Amino acid sequence: MNQADVSKLMSQLRIAVKPHRNLRNPDGPEGRLLKLRKTVTALVKHERIELYYNRADEARGYAELLISNAIRYGDRHKATMELADYWLLEKQLVHKLFKVLVPRLENCNFSYTRMYKAPRDYPGMYYRKSVLELRGNPYPSLLPDYTNNRNLIHNVLLDEARKDYRREKLAELADKIASESAVNAEKVGSEGDAKEAENVEKA
Amino acid sequence: MAGNKMLFQTVLNTLQRFNRLSNIRTYSTSKETVSPAIAKRNELFSEEQRRQKAAVGRVEKIEVRYLGLPEDVTLAMNAHISTPYNCAQHLSDGHCKRSALALKDGNVPWDMHRPLTESCTLQLLNFTVADPHLINKAFWRTCSFMLGAALENSFTDEAHLQLHSFPGPNIKSGSFVYDIVLQAQSWQPTKAEMRALSAAMIRLAAKDLKIERLDVNNELALEMFADSRYKREQLPSIAQQNQGRVTLYRMGTHIDISRGPMVASSRFLGKCTVAAAHKIANEGDKDALYRVQGVGLPAGFTLDHVSYGTLEERARKLNSARLPNEPFEEQHQQIA
Repeated sequence: MNQADVSKLMSQLRIAVKPHRNLRNPDGPEGRLLKLRKTVTALVKHERIELYYNRADEARGYAELLISNAIRYGDRHKATMELADYWLLEKQLVHKLFKVLVPRLENCNFSYTRMYKAPRDYPGMYYRKSVLELRGNPYPSLLPDYTNNRNLIHNVLLDEARKDYRREKLAELADKIASESAVNAEKVGSEGDAKEAENVEKA
Repeated sequence: MAGNKMLFQTVLNTLQRFNRLSNIRTYSTSKETVSPAIAKRNELFSEEQRRQKAAVGRVEKIEVRYLGLPEDVTLAMNAHISTPYNCAQHLSDGHCKRSALALKDGNVPWDMHRPLTESCTLQLLNFTVADPHLINKAFWRTCSFMLGAALENSFTDEAHLQLHSFPGPNIKSGSFVYDIVLQAQSWQPTKAEMRALSAAMIRLAAKDLKIERLDVNNELALEMFADSRYKREQLPSIAQQNQGRVTLYRMGTHIDISRGPMVASSRFLGKCTVAAAHKIANEGDKDALYRVQGVGLPAGFTLDHVSYGTLEERARKLNSARLPNEPFEEQHQQIA
């Protein structure tokens, strides 16, 4: 009951975090962190980068945390500013983080970054590759768009099926109206006959 | 274990009984042996293919300008030997796997396995390009062609199936078509029979059969289709419209007449349903003409079952394409 709500103390990441990797480096943990700082900086700077999978996956979590804290606390929070100062090696990117990325991503309901598996060069290094990008970047999408192109075969088929269905419904409606009007015409016709007969009698 | 075996036996018995009734092989995968007529036809096809390859003579180089991803390149290829598929092999494995049709000089659709004759520009098309009109049409035509093969594989000899022809591809009609003649004047296909035909289509797709194209002269075509009455009747008019040449396509052992182009392999067919068979007219006292219809999507296209169900529903309605027993409306029309 009286326990602190952990999610209020620390933002929950919107990505599945994999176990810690050591990212082998001759300079030890500092070297590893420098590598990740370079990656996070490059991500914020270029918005879409292609790199080895492990490094991208590891850096992604830090980038997510940085953006989520920036959105949560704003630029008047000392700890967040220190965090931004640490992760972004080029200091003009601190401005970009708070003035560009925060307004863009504050209403985002999913993760702030996106990661794709990329094909690896053949022949070349064996390591898996990936593409890491910020959401809402200005580049064309990496995934094919199957929904907006009306000329794709399934869209053509579905469009025609819809038109066919509408045509059928319209024909049904027309039949219904025609039969109703026929019934009315009969009624009117018979009434007219009765009146005529009355007129004749009066005469 | 015993229970399973018994169940299997029951199912098998039911299917066998069913087979006797319907003349469609619901259980066996395909005809084990190729009939002598088809074997002969294939032999003639291969022989003509060899002859045409040998007739190329001195190898001449052509420049093929490839336009597209990853970059525009110029390839030095061999005239009358190299195909767009060979060009794709120079690019990457992905190009070979994904490309279903080539576009020559920006406007002529060209089969992936058809040799290039002169220097040209080349684009490789897949099903997700911005304007997939041409490739969709080729796909629909290939579906009709494959339906012919599936029908030929599925009917037993007692059914006396004869393939008639298929009309030009029209995707907007909602179904691809093959017209056949059966020695049965009141065949009402059951659901299980339709499912067996659909399965035959899927089996063809799984086999990843290369679709080859060959232009032959009328005499050879008549010899190849000597046993097929309806094809033989169609050949003279087709040859007449095409300077005495007839375009044939082969997939596995199935050979058919078609104007083309078609996609590179049977593997490009993904989801597929043979939806209906409508009787069109009686042929003589025993035979009758049927129109078999289906709907399909290229491999890699996923559609939820409700949407696909509406497509299937629509494919059951009789396709309004030209019927084989109607006269041609215009002189230039041709069987696809």
